Amino acid sequence: MDRTSNPKLSDGTLLSDLINLETREVKMRALSDPELFELEMERIFAKTWVFLGHETEIPNKGDFVVRDMGSDSVLMARGADGEVYVSLNVCPHRGMKISTHDVGNTMTHVCIYHGWAFKPNGDFIGAPVEKECMHGKMMTKQELGLKKARVAIYGGLVFATWNIEGPSFEDFLGDAKWYFDTLWCRTDKGMEVLGPPQRFTIRANWKTACEQSASDGFHVLTLHRWLSEVGPYRKPGSEGGGGDLTPEMYGTEVYTAHAHTMRCIELDRKIRRLTGKDPSELSIKEKLEALPPPGITPEMLPEVLRRFSDDQLRVMAWRPPQVGNFFPNGLFEFVYIPSPDGVIGVMALHAYVPKGPDKLEFVNWILAEKDTPPDLKAKMLRLGVQLLGTSGMVEQDDSDTWPHQTLAAKGAVSKHITMKYQSMYENNRLEGWPGPGDVGDGFTKDDTQWRWWEYWYELMTAEN
Amino acid sequence: MLQQLLEPTPLPPSIKANRIPSGSDTYNEVLDFLYDEAEMLDNLRLGEWAELLTKDLEYNAPLRHTRSTSQFDQTYSRNVQHLHENYGSMLMRVKRITDTKSAWGEDPPSRIKRLVTNVRVYRIDDSDDLKVESYLLLTRSRFDFDYFDLIPCVRHDILRREDGALKLARREILLDQVVIGTPNLGVIL
Repeated sequence: MDRTSNPKLSDGTLLSDLINLETREVKMRALSDPELFELEMERIFAKTWVFLGHETEIPNKGDFVVRDMGSDSVLMARGADGEVYVSLNVCPHRGMKISTHDVGNTMTHVCIYHGWAFKPNGDFIGAPVEKECMHGKMMTKQELGLKKARVAIYGGLVFATWNIEGPSFEDFLGDAKWYFDTLWCRTDKGMEVLGPPQRFTIRANWKTACEQSASDGFHVLTLHRWLSEVGPYRKPGSEGGGGDLTPEMYGTEVYTAHAHTMRCIELDRKIRRLTGKDPSELSIKEKLEALPPPGITPEMLPEVLRRFSDDQLRVMAWRPPQVGNFFPNGLFEFVYIPSPDGVIGVMALHAYVPKGPDKLEFVNWILAEKDTPPDLKAKMLRLGVQLLGTSGMVEQDDSDTWPHQTLAAKGAVSKHITMKYQSMYENNRLEGWPGPGDVGDGFTKDDTQWRWWEYWYELMTAEN
Repeated sequence: MLQQLLEPTPLPPSIKANRIPSGSDTYNEVLDFLYDEAEMLDNLRLGEWAELLTKDLEYNAPLRHTRSTSQFDQTYSRNVQHLHENYGSMLMRVKRITDTKSAWGEDPPSRIKRLVTNVRVYRIDDSDDLKVESYLLLTRSRFDFDYFDLIPCVRHDILRREDGALKLARREILLDQVVIGTPNLGVIL
């Protein structure tokens, strides 16, 4: 493959042949081409900030988990100084995997091959039989540490990048931060994971999951129709005859320069049902009291009200971001699920880890605020497991779809078929929408997903 | 507090002295229950299967981790699990498949065999319930794919006699895989 700014695949196809920026189409081949996969690992996963987990997974010094940054295994560990470090999980001696465990606690990671030892922060401690100097004298101990990634912690989320001198994490978030703060930074104590993540394998390219997670609203109508047939969105009196999720499709969609996107779905109907009042006659505070954000109780509200601007609170009470992504491979859900116990919030985070051109690992974390009362946490967790992740009644339909797209990307004819993103917002921004970024108003459209592909293309064609 | 709310009620121990011998009437009745259950599920008789469940059902599948031999007992995680169900949520899972036209994750359905082996039955002290341990190998064939998804696991069940018939009151499914090798657990284990 010719790795110029417009990469040429070995059969002569240019990357620019696979995407039509005018008609908003992407050829299926782009989904699962092995050469493009290699390039994605270099130009996307080794360059952008990648989500790895939550700092509450490793609360104590020496705690570690093993995670993936693209196709590379990394150690995410808490060092002796209490900071979170991310290092390549590969021994600089002969390339053995340093930790073969998923999780644990140690201040000394010892490679089982030749015994080289490293601190949680990646520093080289030494090799066995120090006086015989197994590591030689040509390189200093400083040079023999694990390769260290640059780390950013945001709202407890751990991100890392190999792009040591590259853009800051704030720059990476860009306009999304204004919205993401209302999700990840709502309370003084912050969030916690309710346990380790679920993990499972899907024989599908990572992009099938990730372009969908860039706020594909339309698929919900069909793929997740059961939600309104027998599920939590079944309308009273529509026994068996439901099946229309159209009302859930209205709101605001936000897409930002670095392809972080979100669907801000309107809460007015829920608030009207809960209060019996016209939401336009209620104050922001009254609305938030009637339907607090997922994991927040009315008692926790004063803290939330104190932390945000009036504009942000207005969005939180009216059209909060409920599903969305962070580029390249993260998805978040902050959804309000009708249940016999009232509306229960569910907060989940997914990483879709690329495992080769035709395989991804789905990693699903379920979270709550640290201050969320335990009985509510338990309900959120149960509902999260029932709807999302491994056995989730919603997401099992997604995971069964992506493999078919991946197979279609291989067909001699079907690899030339295009995926189309031609449903566009026409009157973009709603008058008075207070948040930044590109904004579409009304029924869901394809602009958010198209932004995802535009940014994918931008990174894939960037000069090194 | 949270741990108590999240974690399932601990299962009673399998006490050697309480083992009910293979071939006894009770053992055979349990074996028939497990075989019949597998047959119902393999043949999508899900409504019938749901009638085997008690109203206080707890149905769980913990996560697993790869850890050292000395930490073998710490390889299970029972706060976040793959399945964390009660009677109502299991009925919803059944209803999703039987009462909708859009349970796509299992429509068209996988062709499944539930191979049940290594069945051991125990009396439980101070209770008429039975504790049953079994191995399950679930083979799942989906679409025209030329491979099977395999889901090997151990099941720890509590069976209770209600109106003369055995019912499933508890099930804990201990999966072998840390990273589950099938695109979803949209099938009943």
